[in-house]
Amino acid sequence: MRSATLGLILKLAARSLWAHRIKSAIVGSLMTFGTLLVVFGTAMLDSVETAMSNSIIHSLAGHLQVYDANARDELAIYGGTAMSGLDYGEIPSFAAVKKVAERIDNVKAVVPMGINVANMTRGSELDLAFSKMRRAYRDQKAEEAKALIPKVKRLLALLDADIDARTKVAGGDHLQELKGQLTAVRKARSDEFWAQFQRTPLESLEYLDTQVAPAGGDGRLMYLRYVGTDLSAFTKHFDRFQIVRGETVPEGTRGILINQKFADRRLKILAARLLDSLEKSRLEDVLIAGNAELESKARRLKTQSGSISIMLSPKSIAALKPALNTILDQDNETFPELLAAFLSIDDSNLKERHRQFYDILAPHLDLYPFKIGDIVTIRAWTKSGYSRAANVKVFGTFSFKGLERSDLSGAANLIDMMTFRELYGQMSSAQRAELGAIKSEAKAKTVSRARAETDLFGGPESDGSASDDFGGAFSEFEGLTLKRTKRQAAQQTYSQTDIDQGLTLSTAILLKDESLVDVTKAKLDAAFKNAGLELKVVDWQQASGIIGQLFQLVRAVLYFAIFIIFAVALVIINNSMLMATLERVREIGTMRAIGAQRGLVLSMLVSETFMLCLVAGGCGAILGISLMSWFRHHGIPAINEMMMFMFSGPRLFPDYSAHHIGAGVSIILLVSLLATIWPARVATRVPPIEAMRSAD
Amino acid sequence: MTHIVQIDEVYKDYPLGKVTVNALRGVSLDIGAGDFVTIAGPSGSGKTTLLNQIGCVDVPTAGRVYIDGKCTSELSEKELTSLRLEKLGFIFQTFNLVAVLDVMQNVEFPLLLQGGLSKDERRTRVTHLLDAVGLSEQIGQRPNELSGGQRQRVAIARALVTRPSIVLADEPTANLDSETGDRIIDLMKTMNKDFGTTFIFSTHDHRVMRHARRIIKMVDGQLASDERVQPESTPA
Repeated sequence: MRSATLGLILKLAARSLWAHRIKSAIVGSLMTFGTLLVVFGTAMLDSVETAMSNSIIHSLAGHLQVYDANARDELAIYGGTAMSGLDYGEIPSFAAVKKVAERIDNVKAVVPMGINVANMTRGSELDLAFSKMRRAYRDQKAEEAKALIPKVKRLLALLDADIDARTKVAGGDHLQELKGQLTAVRKARSDEFWAQFQRTPLESLEYLDTQVAPAGGDGRLMYLRYVGTDLSAFTKHFDRFQIVRGETVPEGTRGILINQKFADRRLKILAARLLDSLEKSRLEDVLIAGNAELESKARRLKTQSGSISIMLSPKSIAALKPALNTILDQDNETFPELLAAFLSIDDSNLKERHRQFYDILAPHLDLYPFKIGDIVTIRAWTKSGYSRAANVKVFGTFSFKGLERSDLSGAANLIDMMTFRELYGQMSSAQRAELGAIKSEAKAKTVSRARAETDLFGGPESDGSASDDFGGAFSEFEGLTLKRTKRQAAQQTYSQTDIDQGLTLSTAILLKDESLVDVTKAKLDAAFKNAGLELKVVDWQQASGIIGQLFQLVRAVLYFAIFIIFAVALVIINNSMLMATLERVREIGTMRAIGAQRGLVLSMLVSETFMLCLVAGGCGAILGISLMSWFRHHGIPAINEMMMFMFSGPRLFPDYSAHHIGAGVSIILLVSLLATIWPARVATRVPPIEAMRSAD
Repeated sequence: MTHIVQIDEVYKDYPLGKVTVNALRGVSLDIGAGDFVTIAGPSGSGKTTLLNQIGCVDVPTAGRVYIDGKCTSELSEKELTSLRLEKLGFIFQTFNLVAVLDVMQNVEFPLLLQGGLSKDERRTRVTHLLDAVGLSEQIGQRPNELSGGQRQRVAIARALVTRPSIVLADEPTANLDSETGDRIIDLMKTMNKDFGTTFIFSTHDHRVMRHARRIIKMVDGQLASDERVQPESTPA
């Protein structure tokens, strides 16, 4: 097209846009808004995705996860739609996966992983006191044990009163049971018993453990979600990992690391959790007064005075009484009353009481069911369906950097691979040897199904020799309680070869260059196939389960919103262009009569749309960029734990790039041009004879 | 005199609602180059339809129309458009200026479509023409800032700017008061004399008809009379 004609067309387009400026403004704002939505929305979403992928990749998932291709369920590191019971299949030999994966050049680290849920019980106060005493005697610390006697006596007195009260309302067999318990408790409270205790403490403790403790009620059952992994490799390669208290599990040692967030949210004593939750609301400027949920928490907190005073030794009570009297400026008769007064929280004293609780009260309390360095017993259901327990030492607590306050990232605890396998139901080589020893000692032999009759009932080939084939991962002997003390089991060591040789459920793969995820994924797929391994490789988003899916949903909603906006824009632009064309039929006819070809009419209309689009799209893009820049500078605060996780920290500093702007402008351009097709068709069909019609 | 327009047994029917209107019923006519022709007749007599056939904005149902020797029925839409651009100039009853362009740009428009002249050549020609129609002062104004007579003069300048062989004017004075109408006719006569342009216009205004050299009268889609006349001299 000649430049003079082009100039004319542009001039015509610009002038007619100006002539219909109200219409242009309306259509233009729609285009501006559409572009803004695309630029801002996609940039924001991509920023969240980057942040979230950071959260997920560097805390737990790795860039890629490898798992059994024949798994019944899809891998969901943060849990799927079902709470548990997901079957991710298993990888029999981690070593095979590691060998293949490490040959791919972009692979930085290969870390085995297995997710499982175990439970642990926090014993009743009596249980705890008895086991403390027992430990003290075993460790030859008689003085320490004796110091516990007043506390035990106090607990027994409380139990006595409690059972006595219950006998008054009970009947039948239950009454008989209660009376038996009462007799046992009263015997334990007698002076003769404690005189005997001085002489034979261990026998007396046995009596307390077996006869008295059952009357003290069950402890609290707690669920513990854990990831079994090569702890050394994990702590080295997942750079979000940080120790909060204690230390990381030394190489080759069995142990568990508890998530600090999990400990605070689930394991801490109720009073502390209630107080924390109230304090958290205070920090978010939510008042207790008028908030039903917080008011209920405050009431529950007050009722905790009883259980806290049970936990305290008489010595602690003696120390705390004057301190609490000073704080409260009153002189209550009993300690529980004093404590109840201390725990009466309202908006005015919350901050102060929260601080005092941790400064004054907490040093006398066991806030958590175990201390760092303790050995805990955790139980899990093995693959074949029986309960299995393991004793592990708690080496410390940890958190993921930037995600300290996120519940979601706080859900997983870390355990060593060997213990994981044990709880999963796979025996270590040491256990297998031990089992072999037991079997041969018991003259047990492996009976195969085919030879069962001959072997069990005698036959010519039976020679009575035991087979030593214990190679299978599972055995009917596995459920046997092996005679080992807690301490010995927890102190067993293992080598890197032990970790590598056994099974894993999935394998996390960390990459050197994050941008090559797709390429590396394809390479791994091919490599596993070549090696004859039936494995599935998924990226972090798929591996993260419901979180990744939720994110996809958010993205789908945005795209849908964009689609709707543009569908509306398309209709409106189309309509207004059509109206404008119909208004200009005579003018177009005149141009055609004078000698303008159809192409010129088309160019004129398209230029009009194009110009409006560039201006509006430009405005939209500039608005989007300004908005993003503002957010990038100031950050967006995460208002809840979920957002914290998505933002990979307390604030998101979103970023945008050229392709967001490009996408915004191209989409609006495309939509506008689509919207112009029909009006343009109408316009080019205007016959020159229209010019001859007299004006209406 | 060569015949710039030849019309041979032209019929034109067009539908109007459920009935068919026979707007032209066998019209044959030749018009020589440089003539000044008036087609007169009452409303509905077919004069506008005839003008549309000559203006190449419409083609006949039957019969043939030759413009400068070319048969319009045999040309494509594109060729017809080019023919209009190169050979014809239009002056419309309702002026039909492009509202968003100023006087200068309106007149320049056909030249831009032709694309043969440089910017300076275009400007010179437009300025001269606007001078001739007495609109040098209004060169930068928009059509809505002009009076009816001024607008029609812009339309005349636009019709003449490409130096067409034929200028068609469909009741050019219908929307003007008589004094302005007279001045428009005088202007066209001057142009006819100066450039040798063929003027064909339809009218039923007797005051206009008296300026013509040839008066064709139409009734019911047919020629009623065709006479050569001595035009009245231009009043001062």
